[in-house]
Amino acid sequence: MSMDTSRELEATGGSVATGELVHVNREKESVAERTARFERDAMQYTSQLYAAALRYTKNPDDAQDLVQDTYAKAFTSFHQFEPGTNLRAWMYRILTTTFINKYRKNQRQPKISDGELTDQDLFVSASHTSDQGKSAEVEALENLPDSDIKRALHEIPEEFRIAVYLVDVEGFSYKEAAEIIGSPAGTVMSRLHRGRKQLREKLTEYAKELGYGMGMGTGDKP
Amino acid sequence: MSPNHDFATQCNQVLNSIVLFIDNEIDDSAQFNAIAFHLQECDLCRGAMELERQQLQIMQSLLTRSCCETAPEDLLVRIHNQVNALAAELSQAESIGYVGQTEIITKYSRTEITIDGETQIEIETSHEIWRDF
Repeated sequence: MSMDTSRELEATGGSVATGELVHVNREKESVAERTARFERDAMQYTSQLYAAALRYTKNPDDAQDLVQDTYAKAFTSFHQFEPGTNLRAWMYRILTTTFINKYRKNQRQPKISDGELTDQDLFVSASHTSDQGKSAEVEALENLPDSDIKRALHEIPEEFRIAVYLVDVEGFSYKEAAEIIGSPAGTVMSRLHRGRKQLREKLTEYAKELGYGMGMGTGDKP
Repeated sequence: MSPNHDFATQCNQVLNSIVLFIDNEIDDSAQFNAIAFHLQECDLCRGAMELERQQLQIMQSLLTRSCCETAPEDLLVRIHNQVNALAAELSQAESIGYVGQTEIITKYSRTEITIDGETQIEIETSHEIWRDF
């Protein structure tokens, strides 16, 4: 194991610009060593990737297949992964490109355009409510069951959903999300902002169905 | 509440960058400082920023709260078994001198039978070549 560590340190020492392929002691590392390193480093992301796959595919069977495919591809390419760089982002990139290339072909999706952002798209809170209505709205949103939040996410267009998931759930930067998706950062930003806005509208709608806005939004407390 | 023209222009610029500011996506430090300074000075913009930030945080916390499934045990077993099977294939390939390439070849085969009973077999091969990560 100490051999393994020193080798990794050696490999990270010669860090290069993003996108440039580094072969990390491929000749020296045996398959068994690489397998052990893969299981040690990559298996910690199974649940995170599974949760993302559930949002991407919208069903548990496809989500499991997608995660399994992701791990198979990741393992096969693992000798290309440069130790010390972001393995989580690398795994998400495989998950996302696999989904886009394979699973999506089975679903019929209306193509959405990545047009210019309007000012309206930029603000999640574009629909202004009064200050007193706001706390009731926040409360109603926080009382939404998890199933409603997942439903809202599943109802927004796929490209928007992926961008929102990567940035708002996984905390990737716009640039990282763009690399994971394989689209320009501007495109991803536009999808993210539109997705957030649509999500927000749906969640507010569900909150209203639960009672917010029907006498609860007046601000009077018992 | 009648800000002068310059200030109004500044407000517009700041309001347009508010989401990027909140998301910490403004790389240009001069621009970032200009926005931060304006937000200190302008109650309206600061109010708009705080509202926007609050709304985003609520949405992010709702999403994070609800998207936290655990991978089922049998999925973990499937992954583990597949990794080991792939590792065995790789070991075998290496022992006969094959230098691993990151190319995954998927083969699809299909059998078609024509009306007159003649059997025709078609084999399609598709190559999936990995881009370098």
